Amino acid sequence: MLSMQNVSMVYRTETVETHALRDFSLEVGEGEFVSVTGPSGSGKTTFLNIAGLLEEFSSGTYKLDGKDTSSLGDTERSRLRNEKIGFIFQSFNLIPELDIFDNVDVPLRYRGFNAAERKERIERVIDMVGLGSRMKHLPSQLSGGQQQRVAIARALAGEPRFLLADEPTGNLDSEMAESVMQLLEEINAKGTTIIMVTHEPKLAGRAKRNIFVRDGRLSSVEPQLQVAVGG
Amino acid sequence: MDIGPIWRALLRNKSSFLLIALQIAATMALMVNAIAIIQERSRLMARPSGIDEENIFYIDSSSFDKDLEYQAMVAEDLDLIRAFPGIVNAMLTNSFPLRDGGWSQALQTEPGEGIDGTGTAIYFADEHGIETFGVDLIAGRNFATTEIVWADPEGAPDWPESAIVTRAMAAEMYPDITPEQAVGKVAYIEQDQPVTIIGIVDRMQAPWKSWAGVERSMLVPMKRGQSFARYVIRAKPGYRDEVMPQLERLLAERDTGRIIDSPGTITEARRMAYLEDSAMIKLLVFIVSLLTAITSLGIVGLASFSVAKRTKQIGTRRALGATRPSILRHFQLENFLISSIGVVSGAILAVALNMWMVQTFDLTPIAWYIIPVSMLVLWMVGQLAVYGPARRASLVSPAIATRSV
Repeated sequence: MLSMQNVSMVYRTETVETHALRDFSLEVGEGEFVSVTGPSGSGKTTFLNIAGLLEEFSSGTYKLDGKDTSSLGDTERSRLRNEKIGFIFQSFNLIPELDIFDNVDVPLRYRGFNAAERKERIERVIDMVGLGSRMKHLPSQLSGGQQQRVAIARALAGEPRFLLADEPTGNLDSEMAESVMQLLEEINAKGTTIIMVTHEPKLAGRAKRNIFVRDGRLSSVEPQLQVAVGG
Repeated sequence: MDIGPIWRALLRNKSSFLLIALQIAATMALMVNAIAIIQERSRLMARPSGIDEENIFYIDSSSFDKDLEYQAMVAEDLDLIRAFPGIVNAMLTNSFPLRDGGWSQALQTEPGEGIDGTGTAIYFADEHGIETFGVDLIAGRNFATTEIVWADPEGAPDWPESAIVTRAMAAEMYPDITPEQAVGKVAYIEQDQPVTIIGIVDRMQAPWKSWAGVERSMLVPMKRGQSFARYVIRAKPGYRDEVMPQLERLLAERDTGRIIDSPGTITEARRMAYLEDSAMIKLLVFIVSLLTAITSLGIVGLASFSVAKRTKQIGTRRALGATRPSILRHFQLENFLISSIGVVSGAILAVALNMWMVQTFDLTPIAWYIIPVSMLVLWMVGQLAVYGPARRASLVSPAIATRSV
């Protein structure tokens, strides 16, 4: 489903070349729950950006659902992101001026669904994350955990093939983090593939597979080792 | 279309756009009324005087000779002028349209005191008057040579028995008949002096361009003068500027005991008559352009600030699937909504302001189409102004969404 072969990413300025990813190869199959850990600056976010088609890479091959993404234009990448990938961000990235309903509606509008279908999907996912009674609330009227649940609902509304979560519990206290993790596990149990970047070894350990990134390279794919390194 | 969410988001953050919407409204109100004034002034300026403006000029002669044979001088001057190559005709008169100075009288349809008359400008003319002014005689006849009288230069004139009036004058005096049917009617000047209307000219404005009855004029077969003579001269097309200085020199050399003023053209008289209107139009165009430019800059500023403030939000939208054109459209639509609030409020304000101006300054009400045209212009200005910032927004990378700051 997600296949990276020797992907490299080099940021260049006039004087400096920074290798954010080096010969990075990874296969993620249908229904997996993969956690990505590593020290700060190791290339986790770059990996996530490339996997989520947020950034282009310098060399290598990246196939998403069998489609080679290296030759895609901006519009095609946007469409693919919208249809196949759901994003969950560390700081939720909800739009403060929009209520919960409209926030979840954002990717659906870009998808071009009609109003009735959008409404049905929005209500279903908001109910699923347990916020059915808060649809007209603004993000600022919700707790951090509730905001992240809205972000998860937004990511799920388009029924993507996989979720990319960037430190989804990084801004939450342990109780809320646990509830978000449980929600992610439930979503994964229903068949959605999840790739989660995290600093938390405990959370990483709950994934079915852990990968460890250091200096832009894939260091390990063993969950136990990942936990040991993180701890 | 994303109108719903964008509209709701704007309503939740009114302070961010109300100022610019207010600015657009003020620009709209001022623009509409300025255009109405410009239109009004332009319409006044475009009114034809009825005479052959392009080819007519005038020469004033002031004599200081105590033994001056005035009538002989005028006859000789006019013979000389009419015989000069490139001249169509010439005559002695008291004034001409756009001169901003002349004679006026009231004509009554019935003799007697206490009867309302119709005000009219009076031009002294002879049998050459119609051709010299180049006016169009639409009914009746021209003056005969025998009808021309020399009036007493000292006292009140004995008015001649015939006159030629403009179509507007005839229509005002005799509203129940066609202007052409006024030929042969007897009117009364100075209450009881009968004047027979022998001809109707299509148009010949009074000398005062701001007078409400500016289209009402009357030619009388009369000459009058003592030492000052004003000759109105019509040149053949294309000859005016060439013959004007030649005739000035010729008249001055013919009689050295007088002063010949520099000749003037009707074109220049028109320019001077409408100088204030012309300056007002330029000033209003400048003010409206300046206001529009300031409003555009305001929109650019607001949109730029909005883009800078929402970079992460834009990145998030891109991450969620927005294409670059979607982001461009988002900001253009947002600007359209803000502009719409401005132009709709501005339209209401414009009408209110116009109603007040009509009542206070007796202006003509604005033409209905100025409002939608102005709205369209301001919408377009808004879209052009927001394009730059919106394009910058569309270039925001979706990777911004995952950055922690």
